[in-house]
Amino acid sequence: MDCNDCLEKLYSYLDRELSPVELTAVRTHLDDCGGCEDQFVVEDRFLARVRDCCHEDVAPSDLRTRIVARLRMEHDAPR
Amino acid sequence: MATDPFETEALSFLDALYRTALRMTRSEAEAEDLVQETYIRAFRFRHQFTAGTNLKAWLFRILTNTFINQYRRKAARPETTELDDVEESILYRHMRDVSPGSSSPDPEAELIDGTLSSEVKDALEALPEKFRTTLLLDVEGFSYKEIAELLDIPIGTVMSRLHRGRKFLQKRLYDVARERGIVAARAMPRPAD
Repeated sequence: MDCNDCLEKLYSYLDRELSPVELTAVRTHLDDCGGCEDQFVVEDRFLARVRDCCHEDVAPSDLRTRIVARLRMEHDAPR
Repeated sequence: MATDPFETEALSFLDALYRTALRMTRSEAEAEDLVQETYIRAFRFRHQFTAGTNLKAWLFRILTNTFINQYRRKAARPETTELDDVEESILYRHMRDVSPGSSSPDPEAELIDGTLSSEVKDALEALPEKFRTTLLLDVEGFSYKEIAELLDIPIGTVMSRLHRGRKFLQKRLYDVARERGIVAARAMPRPAD
């Protein structure tokens, strides 16, 4: 595997979507190639940052109450 | 009232559904309406859900379909649906090649960590809807295959949307960081469009 092949699989690797055979090939290349490894580390950090930012938001506390009330109302409504 | 296991499990995904709806609709009020509508539909059609299968994916499918059917239609501002191709490796190559003499040992990390959470969210919300939706499902931990099934698109399209969407985010965050001066001190040229 050369650098181009490896970088092509960058997101599939970080997204844990590679087959065991592909995974081994990428890992073997990364062990030998600091340049590719650095790039993988940067992209991994970027994806983690995006994920963390999105996960900061939580539903307003009264939304759950309103949803449950609405579901009970639907459930109790005559058909 | 006895606890309904379906209700308990479904409500355990409330935060995940809400934050996804928030980024999809770009409005707190609309996100609340969308999530409420999702739960109402989920309960109305709960007989269609097979117990023991993936309830989270089922709920997200309802959320996504409801959003696409209702909210896309009444979107206040017309959106572009395509993304221009963005140069590869913006974060990496530009930081590394242009600032080899940087005082920071890790300029990419400095850029990523120096980016404000609001800037990341703004960048996500600036993505055309189909790219945004795909990225948001990825952020919630769905696999390529699950996203493909949720959106009724081929896996190759999922991969291409994720790839292009992420490059768009990187370029935008890079530009924002440059405007805020995080990277300006290095007199870095703007990445080629």
